[in-house]
Amino acid sequence: MADPHATTHDAPGGHSHVGRYALVWVALLFFTFLTYGLSRLHIAGGWGVVVALAIASAKGTLVALFFMHLWDQRGANRLVFLISLSFVALLVGLTILDNATRFPLANPPGAEGALPAGGADVPPPFQPGERR
Amino acid sequence: MSAEAARAHPRLAHHFESLEKQVHAARLGMWLFLATEVLLFTALFAAYAVYRYLFHETFAEASRHIETWIGLVNTIVLVTSSLTVALGLHRATRGDGKGTALFFGLSVLLALTFLGFKAIEYTHHFQEGQLPGRFYTYGEVTGPGASLFFTLYFLITGLHGIHVVIGMTVLIVVGIRAGRGAFSAEYHVPVELAGLYWHLVDLIWIFVFPLIYLI
Repeated sequence: MADPHATTHDAPGGHSHVGRYALVWVALLFFTFLTYGLSRLHIAGGWGVVVALAIASAKGTLVALFFMHLWDQRGANRLVFLISLSFVALLVGLTILDNATRFPLANPPGAEGALPAGGADVPPPFQPGERR
Repeated sequence: MSAEAARAHPRLAHHFESLEKQVHAARLGMWLFLATEVLLFTALFAAYAVYRYLFHETFAEASRHIETWIGLVNTIVLVTSSLTVALGLHRATRGDGKGTALFFGLSVLLALTFLGFKAIEYTHHFQEGQLPGRFYTYGEVTGPGASLFFTLYFLITGLHGIHVVIGMTVLIVVGIRAGRGAFSAEYHVPVELAGLYWHLVDLIWIFVFPLIYLI
């Protein structure tokens, strides 16, 4: 049911759209291998998760802007998506802050700083004063 | 008035002034829905964040006992399926419904590949006893938090898997309709919205991959 006029009469931006999709795909594959490779290095000090999330955010941005066309769309759709992301930050950020700033014994047994799981005779999984 | 009615597109609903406005309304509605989907997954990611924070070492240890290569392959498969969906939409903007059907069919095959790998993975977890809660019998990673990792693993990948199945169904239905010539270069908003849903499924997996597999 192809419309012959639509297929033969290519709009100026038409081919660049396909080219853009291909470029985004290559970039996504690159970032996928990059994040996999970096995870093998076991970056110390908890920065591994920061790097992994930064790369995932870059990939997500590419998908949202170009595959989901937020790049060419009106403000309202962008606004909806950005607001949902700000709620993601609030929900995850505040929840983590709660746990991070608690009196350690208020956290579940076995967690860092909290009581050991299974009673006092079990040695704690973390040395006192040890971070992470 | 009658001339205007004659020019009106057959897909134009009577409560919209123009097809353009109708398409924008449909898109906005879809984005609102996608926002609720993002927040649905965020609840699980927040739970994950809390328990990863509390049981950091155990989570890292448990993550080393799942098949990273399956996560990697599935990421590549999903990202590629997103590309084929985008190309399907591109064919639809040219009024090429057959092309859309072809690309969506390809995407469904990739989605099935994804689910196939997932099935291999789940089978492995069931054999090893890497299961949620009190069903956890895996001996190599013990201690508090070990079963929590797999609880969250199954919740997150399970909910994502359900979304893959829904997305596949949507792609099949819209793909078949496109193949039958239901859409045109002027009106192909269902193709676009089906694509949006699929890209969201991909987007969520992009975050699941490093969080579950690459600790």
